[in-house]
Amino acid sequence: MKKEKVLSFIYDTLFFVASMAILVALWELIAYVTKNEIPGPKPTLTVFKELMQEPFYDRGPNDKGIGNQLMSSLYRVFLGFGAGSLIAIPLGLLMGSSKLIMRLLNPIVQILRPVSPLAWFPLGLLAFHAAEGATIFIIIITSLWPTLINTAFGVSSIPQDHKNVGTAFGFSKWKYLTKILIPFSLPHIITGLRLSIGIAWMVIVAGEMLSGGVGIGFFVWDSWNGLSLEKILVAIIIIGLVGVILDKMFNALQNAFAWDK
Amino acid sequence: MQELETIETAINPTTTTPETAIAIKNVSVSFKTKKGVFNALNNISLDIKRGEIVTLIGHSGCGKSTLMNTVSGMVAPTSGTVTANDKIVKGPGPDRGIVFQNYSLLPWLSVFQNIYEAVDSVMKDKTAAQKREIVNKNLDMVNLMSHKNKLPGQLSGGMKQRVAIARAFAISPSILLLDEPFGALDALTKSDMQIELLKLWNLANRDKTIVMVTHDVEEAIFLSDRVVVMNNGPAATIKKIVDINLPRPRNKKDISHDPEYMKIHDELLTLLFHKFSIND
Repeated sequence: MKKEKVLSFIYDTLFFVASMAILVALWELIAYVTKNEIPGPKPTLTVFKELMQEPFYDRGPNDKGIGNQLMSSLYRVFLGFGAGSLIAIPLGLLMGSSKLIMRLLNPIVQILRPVSPLAWFPLGLLAFHAAEGATIFIIIITSLWPTLINTAFGVSSIPQDHKNVGTAFGFSKWKYLTKILIPFSLPHIITGLRLSIGIAWMVIVAGEMLSGGVGIGFFVWDSWNGLSLEKILVAIIIIGLVGVILDKMFNALQNAFAWDK
Repeated sequence: MQELETIETAINPTTTTPETAIAIKNVSVSFKTKKGVFNALNNISLDIKRGEIVTLIGHSGCGKSTLMNTVSGMVAPTSGTVTANDKIVKGPGPDRGIVFQNYSLLPWLSVFQNIYEAVDSVMKDKTAAQKREIVNKNLDMVNLMSHKNKLPGQLSGGMKQRVAIARAFAISPSILLLDEPFGALDALTKSDMQIELLKLWNLANRDKTIVMVTHDVEEAIFLSDRVVVMNNGPAATIKKIVDINLPRPRNKKDISHDPEYMKIHDELLTLLFHKFSIND
């Protein structure tokens, strides 16, 4: 058993290294073909090291370290995601437990869900009179749909057997909510949250390109204006890594609350 | 088994007065389906005495579970009334404990919590310590003390069913309703569980009324005072009620050689088999 685990860990590591090697090789190839117009891994690494020497420097509003940029993006994502989830979860619970509310609200969800969150940006500007508020606003919108839909689905798919337990033993509304409805729907809710944060992290980059100021998305745009492609590539790698970490966090949460292991 | 016999002899059967625990009166049940109205039960009447063990037997889909669910309150009769403990059944109540066909344990709660939540819901005026004690006592009765912190997913089918039975007993209902409780178990576990059920019934001074749905003839005879044989649906009715006049305590092995047992067994098989030949 233990030997198998060690072996599978070795395999996982080997495959990861192989995968990264393919990525670096492709990158080198592209740099070679474009005659280093797109910088290769080596010059990018040099810039990465430079940026990492002082990631949290702050020399005025338009000159901040990459660490600062990343932190303000994460702050916006968590704020927007938190507010969005606080709206989406209760609404999803309601939609899942009442056919009436589901039928009433589902068409709204279906129409608004496919809209790119960026389309809401001007409305956010109008409402908050500031780019900061507008950026968080679009993250709130982004975080709504997957959580809402998954929560509603989770609640509406509670098996009759579980409901029967509540009926047969006269569970109060509160007991039904805390001992049957929420425990059953929790894995679905967390799946929704995981999808939401993933999309929110994608949208923040685009949002900050629009809003300017500070943030990893702004950093990418600013580097383009400063014609530093290496910085853009560094930012892409960091955005990717942070995205993986966020996903792993919610994956761990999913495993922690899975009762059907 | 030793324990079983001593308890049974300690009981004086003359002290219990036969009163009606359950009265089913002209009950019909029909469901609305996409294809129209489906009549499951047609004008059924049946009285069950306190402390009696009655099994409902019949082929799949004959409406025996539906009939029992009118007693539990999970199904409302379309016409007619069901009275349990002198009250007309309007929904599930703590005076009737239910054991479902598929255990129906909540998979995210431990064995202990599964029973505790039911006790907590029914016995609101008891303290937490008293409620815990009740749960422990009932866990002990079904020999699951050592598994109390496990999740249902970690238990075998027989253990799960013991939890479900302990949960039904824990709310100390005067009526127990069991819907094919041992249907999913292997033959050996099934026999153990039948004896266990009788043991619990004895421990409760044979005061509890038990109604059980089954399609197992041997199980029905071994456990019951009366076996209610149902006609095939739709619009099922009671075909015949067979009295089981076998003395208790009954021994699973010895009973099968009893001429009375064989006579009843034969009769029940004929009642059920007869239906087969019409259908096939």
